[in-house]
Order: sequence, then C-alpha cells, then structure tokens
Amino acid sequence: MLCIETKDLRKKYASTVAVDGVDLQIESGQVFGFLGPNGAGKSTVIKLLTTLISPSNGKISVLGIDSAKHPLEIRKKIGVVLQQPSYEPTLSAEKSLEKYGMMWNIDKKIRKKRTEELLSAFGLEEIRKKKMDDLSIGQRRRVQVAREFMHDMDLLFLDEPTVGLDPAARRKLLDFLREQVKNSGLTIFYTTHVLSEAEYLCDNIAIINNGKIMAVDSPSELKNRFGHEKTIKIHISTVSEELKSKLSTIPECQIKLEPEPTVIINSTKSEIVLMNILKILNETDTKINDLSAIPTNLEEIFLKVVGDSN
Amino acid sequence: MIRINPIIRLVNRNLTISINPGFIIWQILFPLIYIFVAGFAYTALIDSVPFGGKNLDYPAFLASGMIGFNIMNSTLISGIIIWNDRRHGMFEQIMSGPFTRTHYILSNIVTIGIIGLFSAALITAVGYPVFFDSVEFNIVTIPLIIFGSVVGAILFGSIASIISVKLRSSEGFNVIINTVFLFCAFASTAFYPVQGAPQPLATIFYLNPLSYLVDIIRAGIFGQVTDFVITEMLVLVGLAAILFVIATKLLTKLDF
Repeated sequence: MLCIETKDLRKKYASTVAVDGVDLQIESGQVFGFLGPNGAGKSTVIKLLTTLISPSNGKISVLGIDSAKHPLEIRKKIGVVLQQPSYEPTLSAEKSLEKYGMMWNIDKKIRKKRTEELLSAFGLEEIRKKKMDDLSIGQRRRVQVAREFMHDMDLLFLDEPTVGLDPAARRKLLDFLREQVKNSGLTIFYTTHVLSEAEYLCDNIAIINNGKIMAVDSPSELKNRFGHEKTIKIHISTVSEELKSKLSTIPECQIKLEPEPTVIINSTKSEIVLMNILKILNETDTKINDLSAIPTNLEEIFLKVVGDSN
Repeated sequence: MIRINPIIRLVNRNLTISINPGFIIWQILFPLIYIFVAGFAYTALIDSVPFGGKNLDYPAFLASGMIGFNIMNSTLISGIIIWNDRRHGMFEQIMSGPFTRTHYILSNIVTIGIIGLFSAALITAVGYPVFFDSVEFNIVTIPLIIFGSVVGAILFGSIASIISVKLRSSEGFNVIINTVFLFCAFASTAFYPVQGAPQPLATIFYLNPLSYLVDIIRAGIFGQVTDFVITEMLVLVGLAAILFVIATKLLTKLDF
C-alpha cells in the first residue's frame, strides 16, 4: 500500500522555487530516507506532506487521504518531529511527555505507562524532573523525539532527529526506530545529513537537490547505479620529480603531499590503474608505506549525484 | 476511550504551562499591596469618590478598580503563550498535530476567559472586606461582573495576542507589552476618579478600554447600572470583537 504519493508537487515563495515537480511513491512499513544538501527543499517537502503549508501546484496523498481536502485527518494519523527544537520551557521532561500524550487524547493510564517506557528507552530517567529549559540541546532533542511516540501513528516524519545527539544516543535512537518499524509496521520519513545513519536505517532513499528529486532507490541499488568509481589511496615515502612526471601521464590519479605524500586513484577501472601505478612506483624506487581501498559508501554517491546535478 | 474536545485539551495544556506558584502569588500579592497600602494611604488625600448615585471611600473605589486591572494583567498570559509557542517551536508542533488554527485561537480565548474570571473572583474575595459596606449584589450585577470579566479578558487578550504575533524578539515583546499595559493601567479610572482630572486627561481615560471595564465591574459591585454603563458595555463588546477579529486574522496568516 502506498503511504505517501505526490504528483508534480511544487512550492514557490516569491521568486524562489523551493520544490520543483516532486513525484514520490512511498510504500508503507519502511524507513524512507530523504537526503539533500542545505536548502535543497527537504524541510519544505516535509511541511507540505504534514499539511503545515499548501503546495503552489500538484497533488499530495498521505495514508490514502487527499491533503488538500482533509488535512486534519492526515495530521491525526501522523507524528512529526520538525527540524527546529520544540518544547515547553516550563515543564519537566516527564511532564512534557505526559502533557503531549494528553494533547493527543491518550488515556491517562496509557500515558503513564508510555511515559515510563519512553523515559527508559531514550535514557531520560535521570533528567525526568529537570525543566526543559535547563536541558542540553541533545537532551531536549531526545525528549522531542520520545514525545512523538506518546501517541499512535501510521507515519512518522523525522527531520534531522539526531542533531545534537552523541554517538551512543544516536545509535540507540536508530535502533529504537528500526524496532518500531519492525514491530508496529510504522512508516518513517527520515531526513539527515549524516549519511552513515541513512545507510544504517533506510530501506529506500531519495536524493533531492534544487527542489528536484535526483535519484530514488535502495542504498545498495544506488551504490550499483552510481558507485562504479572506486577510490584507492597509496601512501608513499617521498615524491620525486621523476615520479611526478610519470604519474602525470595517468589522468585518473592525483598526488597529495599533505599530510603525507599520497597517490589517490579515482576510477571506474581502479584495479588496472593501480597496476600501472605500482609499476611506476617500482621503476622510481618509491617505497609504499600503506595502501587502502575505500569502499563505495552513500556519502560518495550523494556527493556524486548532487555534484552532477549542480 | 473518551474523546475530549481538542479545544479543552489545548486549554488544559495552556493552563498547565502558564499557571505556576509565582504567577498565583503575584496575582494575589500585587493587588493586596495596592488595596491595603495605597488604598488606605491615599484616604488622607481622597476622602470619597462619587460613583453613580453613591459616594465610595477610596479603598473601596481602588479595590473594585483592581479587579479590572488584574483581569488586564492576567490576560498578558495570552500573549506570552503565543509568543513562547512561536519562540520554542510549539506553534508549529501543535499545528502539525490533531488541531486547527481555530482550535488554537479558541483555546487561547477560553484560557484567557478562565484566567480573567479566576482573577476577578480572587480580587473580589481579597477586596471584599474593603468594599463590603457599599456592595449591592443582585441578580443583574453578578452576571454583569462575569460579563465584564470575560469581555475584558478577550479584549486585552486580543491586544496581547496581536503584539505577540507582530514581534519576534523578547526585548521588543516585553518593552511594547509593558508600555501598552502600563499606559492602560495608569491612564484609566482603575486607580483614580475621572472627576477632578484635567479635561485632556479625562478624555484619555475614556479612550482607554480599561476605564470601561473598570466602570462595568464597579457598576456590578455597587449596583449602579446607569445608561452610561450600558453604553460602556456596548463599546467594550464592539472593541473586543474588532480586536479579536484582528488577532484571529493575524494568527491565521502566521506562516511557518
């Protein structure tokens, strides 16, 4: 079943086109990653999908509901953690969860139970009585994300939820989200700038740039499609003029002197290029200190897709 | 599961985040100081104040004025809620949840109404020993006090809401709201009688909605419902309606 469907979605602010003809079809029960550089249109798309703003053109269907006709019906079934912090400064972390559950009309007994579960799951027990105003950015962010699980939902929008979290808290959150998708069939629409997070968590990924979708696929398929170029680094002892001159005949490689002399190969045929370079190093009596092959990761794919589109 | 109206849920939330021990103490302590210190200290200067067909002693006049003043002061909360919600991201968060802007606006109005009534009841109880000699409660006057409290709360709540929507910086918000409310407080009939005031000042008094609110509440407490008070009621309702519409329009247009 399609959880989100958009057709020719556009949003224009004065002369700026923030979203430019976005077509999305997102199946239920998955984590869908939405990646893009700053100002690419990620948050605008989230605001459109969560009915916070109206599109200039195009159609949006969320959970099978037309967003133009029944925005409130959509909002009753979704959870939203926006990019910017949102909190009640005068309430404690515990009270924040409890009151948020009340706002969603959750029964008092269930609220109490969920509050305890979430305080534990998000490692908030020690700060449960602390006022939100007195918490660190990361602690507030954890409460903000935890709060959204006080109510039932079919679809959760998370706009950079791990901003300000330490690595342990970040991993804990990602595992919690995976568990939720697995156990309750929740669909998560997830944006982040930490691409390793997206690789770890997401079943499918869309890359957006300048308001347009550049690629949509699973992380492994994206790697297959865009990851033909491999990077190999050869750390060497010295760089002679003779070596420089010989390497200049191979366009797929470059030499970096800082922090240590390194030959970097970027090529779709990196193994063949490597053989040629090893031969040159041998001819010039250059000692190899270390050699490493960097596997294709999502970050490289992202940079390539965004770079090409720019 | 019992389905509670979204407006009631938001009112519950508004009251939880706004009312704290400091607020309640301030709501009681400040009028107490005014009534029992300023009220009796000024008795030497102001012997009695004519109101309707009665002559009130100054503490009774001041205590009844403090009810209107306190209603105005407590509606500051409306502005503070909106301003805090925008500053701390809760406005957007609420609007992305199971609520509409209408729910949000109405919940603010109900919150102000509750706080206004609570405030009026509190000062009536606190000031009662001071004005009980002149009190003339009857079947008309008590609804009049409630009417004045609610309409006054909506009026000043709307003013606070308009200021909070228009200003983003905390400094700007505090300066403007304190200036407006301080002007309303001291250029009104809450603290001094209009009789004997220089004409320009008397005119300013009656350009100020707090004077109308205070007069209506006094009329309710002392049973002096005159034609002038009825006119004041109409003006207050008209003004409250206009300001409420402006505040609602501004809140509806508030962009994310």
